[in-house]
Amino acid sequence: MAFVSSGYNPAKPMENRITDIGPRHFSEFLPPVIAKNKGKWLWHEIVEPGLLMHKAEGGDEVYTVRCGGARLMSVGHVRALCAIADKFCGGHLRFTTRNNIEFMVETLEEAKKLKEYLNAQKFDGGSHKFPVGGTGAGITNIVHTQGWVHCHTPATDASGTVKVVLDELFEEFGQMRMPAQVRISMACCLNMCGAVHCSDIAILGYHRKPPIIDHEWLDNLCEIPLAVAACPVGAIRPTKKEIVTEKGETKTVNTVAIKNERCMFCGNCYTMCPSLPLSDQTGDGLVIMAGGKVSNRISNPKFSKVVVAFIPNEPPRWPTLAKTIRQIVEAYASDARKYERVGDWAERIGWERFFEKTGLEFSEHMIDDFRDPAYYTWRQTTNFKF
Amino acid sequence: MAMIEFKGKNFEIDEDGFLLKFEDWGPEWAEYVKESEGISEITEAHQQILDFLQDYYKKNGIAPMVRILSKSTGYKLKQIYELFPSGPGKGACKMAGLPKPTGCV
Repeated sequence: MAFVSSGYNPAKPMENRITDIGPRHFSEFLPPVIAKNKGKWLWHEIVEPGLLMHKAEGGDEVYTVRCGGARLMSVGHVRALCAIADKFCGGHLRFTTRNNIEFMVETLEEAKKLKEYLNAQKFDGGSHKFPVGGTGAGITNIVHTQGWVHCHTPATDASGTVKVVLDELFEEFGQMRMPAQVRISMACCLNMCGAVHCSDIAILGYHRKPPIIDHEWLDNLCEIPLAVAACPVGAIRPTKKEIVTEKGETKTVNTVAIKNERCMFCGNCYTMCPSLPLSDQTGDGLVIMAGGKVSNRISNPKFSKVVVAFIPNEPPRWPTLAKTIRQIVEAYASDARKYERVGDWAERIGWERFFEKTGLEFSEHMIDDFRDPAYYTWRQTTNFKF
Repeated sequence: MAMIEFKGKNFEIDEDGFLLKFEDWGPEWAEYVKESEGISEITEAHQQILDFLQDYYKKNGIAPMVRILSKSTGYKLKQIYELFPSGPGKGACKMAGLPKPTGCV
């Protein structure tokens, strides 16, 4: 398309420049009933899956219909959301911290009509556009990352794996039959953008091969001390090396050497240095973690723990991943007590029972070997079950 | 990677306009970069920051942290932004011929 200026003048970049204005204040966008009753809510209930009611001091009610979102959305899709908000909610809507979409109305009839309408909307391929659910003790949206759509350090794809898992568990999104809400998160490398380290079930992109060193370019593109300092296990050291360049010249360059037997494939050095790529089609895959949470309800917040050391990348439908997640969810749903999160359940029955009930395989990969704190994760007691 | 020519000199650059090889740096490079970085003229203050960045990189193999740049040159971050509107990384480091900043930027 031909260039269309916004009015910005590249010859005078600082002229008429507006800066440091921050985000719009949320109060500009509140539905009238929310603005009126802000800070005066008395109680709430989940009327049915995907439908909440909040009661205010003065007797006002607001009904919230929550529907799933793919997070990665086109403008066309956002406009479709706006059209629904215009039609049912006076032009107001909000997004949740798990990227679901919430529409608010003032009566139950409107809410039920809206829910029915949302559930009827489909994409051409047959997928629900706005499936209603995500409330109470069910399985809500999956917090995820960029994957192969946009990032340069992923070991797997985010949007793809999430679509697979949510297809597999779809009926749980519109139901509340779990012992407690199950938070599933996904990160495409162990930078762990998002919530994988603190989720009931977490899917994590994982490498299994050390970086490939582009000696010819490393000193030009990288700040070598940063690459050395990026390594959590001291596997990288600076060195000089004689190489033959692409053009056939022989020269000695500053570069790094990596002790492969010390490397655990975290990819941090590649983040700091473009000459150390490590992604690999067959090496890369997924790790599953379980048992994390952020709330203080009954038990303190927990980190999630590794329960599956490796699942291969199987695009586009990742069948092993879908099966394994389902296996964990089913074992938890049938065995845990009411209000128990996955981590509460695993810690009560003991992790050896967790592996038994879920049918997952325990291997040496699960045993912590990272520095002094690893010791505290081993069992300093005779209290265990056969 | 693109090759550009400016005042009879050749520079190999990446898609963000960073110099691929520090040893290719010459005063012409700063002249070439300044326009895209919103700088009309390279003043003494600009030069002082460029010189410090280059010395620090030659000595330590890394770009200085922002606090070190500030403390060593005496320019506060605000003043650095006045000199280099894109900031110390994208503006000053690029002009000084240092490698592109990496990490989650």
